[in-house]
Amino acid sequence: MIRNGKKNYNLIVGSIITGFILLLILVGTFYTPYDPDAMDAASKFAGVSLKHPMGCDNFGRDIFSRVLEGSRTTFIVAAGTVFIGTFFGIIMGALTGYYGGIVDEILMRFNDAMFAFPSILLALLFISLFGSGKYQVILALGIAFIPSFARIVRSEFIKCKNMDYVKNAKLQGASNIRIMFVHILPNTVTVLLSAIMIGFNNAVLAEAGMSFLGIGVQPPDASLGRMLSEAQTYLFSAPTYAIFPGLIIILMVLGFSLLGDGLKSEE
Amino acid sequence: MKYAGKKVITMIITLFAVTLFVFLAFHFISGDPATSMLGTEATPERVEALREEMGLNDPVLLQYGRWALNFLKGDMGISYSYRMSVSEMVADKIPVTVTLTILAFLMMVVIAIPLGIYTAKHVGGVIDRIIYMINQVIMAFPPFFAGILITLVFGRILKLFTPGGYVSYQKDFFGFVGYLIFPAFAIALPKAAMAVKLLRSSVISESKLDYVRTAYSRGNSTKAVLYKHVLKNALIPVITFLGMALADMIAGSIIIEQVFSIPGLGRILLTSISNRDYPVVMAVIVCISLLVLVVNMVVDIIYGLVDPRISIE
Amino acid sequence: MKRKGLKSLLMIFVLTTLAIALTGCSGDKEAENSSQITIGIPQDVEESLDPHKMVAAGTKEVLFNLFEGLVKPDSDGSLIPAVASAYEESEGGKVYTFTLREGVKFHDGSLVTAEDVKFSIDKCADTSNGGPLVEAFSNIESVTIKDASTVVITLKEADTEFLAYMTTAIIPASNTAADTNPIGTGPYKFVSRSPQENFIMEKFDEYWGEGANIEHVTFKICANADSIVMDLEGGSIDMFPRVTATQAAELSDNFEVLEGTMNLVQALYLNNAVAPFDDVRVRQALCYAISPQEIMTIISDGKGTELGSSMFPAFGKYFMKELNDTYNQDTEKAKALLAEAGYPDGFSFTITVPSNYQPHIDTAQVLVEQFKAIGVTAEIQLIEWDSWLSDVYQNREFQSTVVGVDASNLTGAALLQRFVSDSSKNFINFNNADYDTALANAIASTDDAEKTKYYKECQTILSTDAANVYIQDLPEFVAINKKYTGYEFYPIYVQDIAKLKLADEQ
Repeated sequence: MIRNGKKNYNLIVGSIITGFILLLILVGTFYTPYDPDAMDAASKFAGVSLKHPMGCDNFGRDIFSRVLEGSRTTFIVAAGTVFIGTFFGIIMGALTGYYGGIVDEILMRFNDAMFAFPSILLALLFISLFGSGKYQVILALGIAFIPSFARIVRSEFIKCKNMDYVKNAKLQGASNIRIMFVHILPNTVTVLLSAIMIGFNNAVLAEAGMSFLGIGVQPPDASLGRMLSEAQTYLFSAPTYAIFPGLIIILMVLGFSLLGDGLKSEE
Repeated sequence: MKYAGKKVITMIITLFAVTLFVFLAFHFISGDPATSMLGTEATPERVEALREEMGLNDPVLLQYGRWALNFLKGDMGISYSYRMSVSEMVADKIPVTVTLTILAFLMMVVIAIPLGIYTAKHVGGVIDRIIYMINQVIMAFPPFFAGILITLVFGRILKLFTPGGYVSYQKDFFGFVGYLIFPAFAIALPKAAMAVKLLRSSVISESKLDYVRTAYSRGNSTKAVLYKHVLKNALIPVITFLGMALADMIAGSIIIEQVFSIPGLGRILLTSISNRDYPVVMAVIVCISLLVLVVNMVVDIIYGLVDPRISIE
Repeated sequence: MKRKGLKSLLMIFVLTTLAIALTGCSGDKEAENSSQITIGIPQDVEESLDPHKMVAAGTKEVLFNLFEGLVKPDSDGSLIPAVASAYEESEGGKVYTFTLREGVKFHDGSLVTAEDVKFSIDKCADTSNGGPLVEAFSNIESVTIKDASTVVITLKEADTEFLAYMTTAIIPASNTAADTNPIGTGPYKFVSRSPQENFIMEKFDEYWGEGANIEHVTFKICANADSIVMDLEGGSIDMFPRVTATQAAELSDNFEVLEGTMNLVQALYLNNAVAPFDDVRVRQALCYAISPQEIMTIISDGKGTELGSSMFPAFGKYFMKELNDTYNQDTEKAKALLAEAGYPDGFSFTITVPSNYQPHIDTAQVLVEQFKAIGVTAEIQLIEWDSWLSDVYQNREFQSTVVGVDASNLTGAALLQRFVSDSSKNFINFNNADYDTALANAIASTDDAEKTKYYKECQTILSTDAANVYIQDLPEFVAINKKYTGYEFYPIYVQDIAKLKLADEQ
């Protein structure tokens, strides 16, 4: 973490924040102080106390427990989205970038069409098609994210395919598949990694946006976006309801983008 | 020019693909316009009669063909829900979304360019660090939440505008633009943060290039080098970004329109999707896609002008 | 040089933006017209403006101000003469004779004629589009014009409640653009509609009756339900019918919050035709599992009216409070019933909820928790209203759903007829021969006491048979700026704006 004698603050701060969030998610997986869905009319909108460190929501559910669970849901949604986006994005980008020609032309036009189509709109349509729920959100966002990943991978492959090591590999008789995924792909990792970081953040924010439009994760499931959009009704009677999920979203995104920046300047 | 021609053809194909996709998608979504129009009064017989009347029983491709043909003739049809002409409805709402987007774009440029140059000039300074951190935090805000906070702070606490006090542009143009300032700000903020970041890193990486070192060694002052050489080249990726951001803003205004209760294209689109009002959905999607595509094309052309290397492609 | 250019350009940007911002701020505080009101509504009037074709409750409550029938409902639930000045029921409810009021004008200035009345009723009875617009009109034998001011309606079967359907709007036969240009006889006339923006109407000066007090009325669509408090406080709307209990608590002293009921039957409606809900014991178990009181405490601070069957208190003589006690929360009994029905370890099912109405979503969430106690796992599935209409209501492909069912008019049949086994509106597939008989008797009987007795029998059957898990009649909070008074609640879903007046005008 030391470069040119200067500390890479981005990397340090980013790692700390991300570590904290991951710890939260890990803890939430095994333990929450209360059942995140358990309601209690008596503690409706209870303030911050030792019993409820973040207070209670409009159903008297413990916000801390819900934040723990919600962070996990949000993380899974974002990670799932990025996984689908990257996986198909790599395949599409690699094929089009490596082979070029007519395949490239068709897929890239298709990509353009998807690009011209705003991703939130696309997600909206997919949700209307598949119905709403956690997995549907992952699928919808994942598909919407493919074009941007494909584009990045494609341009990296175009850059790499004429490099000496690729030519060498070809001379040695390596198959195209091998060249694409064993030789070229590892060389795109740095670019891909930062795209993943950005994609992850976009997915977190998109999940929140979809929850706001009412097409995200289904109640009573908790996700940070859903909690935040539910909380706005009670901004005055229970500000903690909005503040904590909001804070965790901001930290989650901030951590990853600092980490991304840090890794980039580490090269 | 050949390049532009190719772009236009691509654009037409894209539009065709997008509209066909949406049309088919709607065919598979549950819920149909006839049921929607009859609501809880529906009986199977009445739904059937209405479906027949609306031509919904025809094969889907025939329906699409009919729609496309009419659309090309300039007839966007009648809204299933409002029973009014779709072109009238859409024409009424386009100025709203376009004004909002233009305002947001201007704000983004006004905020991002000076700040970006400033931070690039003072890399590593205290202010640079502070701006960097603020930038990161702004980018981490979910857009609708930023909108709510802006309403809260500027509307309810500082009373700089009346939340929900949208006035139609036909009634009071200045009042209309005045109301759009804060929503536009909410759209512009995260994009501006990204632009600042991009400009900064673009200037920095440009400054490290050989020609800049040469310029220095010739005894040029820092300022002269920055404005004469570095900035010109560093702006190229930023222009691409600004174009993409503009296209993004047109679509991104959907959420902000919802937060600030602005009756623009986005609101019409959302409600028409849930009302299964295809004629309106199709028209709005064509409009949005067209706006996005035109912006992309203009950016491509500008890009080609600024950076001659591109036109070879 | 270049730099200066850039700088001054930026300067111009900033200045124009600022200038516009400032004019915008002052522009809002336009001269406050003394006689106007802006009313926030959550949903747009997004359908045909033809009063005979409108179906959404949100449209009906707005258009109530534009249209009238031969009779119209009053705030106490009775029917008062409107376009007709008098009516007579003869032959035991088989023939209705209406005398038209003299000098009643449509909004376009023309006088209402007997032909217009016949046209309006015939239009709603027309069966050429798969069925009549008003279902009860299939009972009409003939509509005859006796003279210029007398219209006689003869029914096929006697129906003493038929008058309630005569609230059907009277519209001019000459209006060819009824879908977009509504013309009626109400105290307000239509001015304009802008999709997703507003619906504007103004006082009709030639109204036959007392007429409206406030000149200009704007219904403004408040898309973002979460900013309603801010909209009210900021002054962009003066009134919002149906704020939530929480929103009501956040409002300042400038507003009065009136409390009424929504007049609907909120329940977990069960599809009686699919397993496990085809077993009465399972349905009863669910009824024992829940506590309407707890639901009300959680979602609306205890406000609301508990219901035990498909009837709400606004109906007065038909409502049976005692049915609330058919099932009181009893986890043990519920578990025993489940075990008896063959589900000792509970089961799982889906609750489908339309996503556009928060109180139903909230209720469903509480239900899920309450069912956990008897080992039943419920999962919520939100769907759009239009999908609900086609999947749940039309195709009946669902297990259970939380919605509120309202009454289109003040007859007992309006709420109870849908549960007759072969009714096209019987979306829960309720099937009970005794019920069918009781309801047929109720409609056929011409004696009021007897009618009431049969309607009560219907309700009792719904309750003991646990047709649905009945919950409550939701509370309605109307937030209104103290500048205005005179708001009145109706037992049906309408907003009567004509009764509103400025507070200092008395």
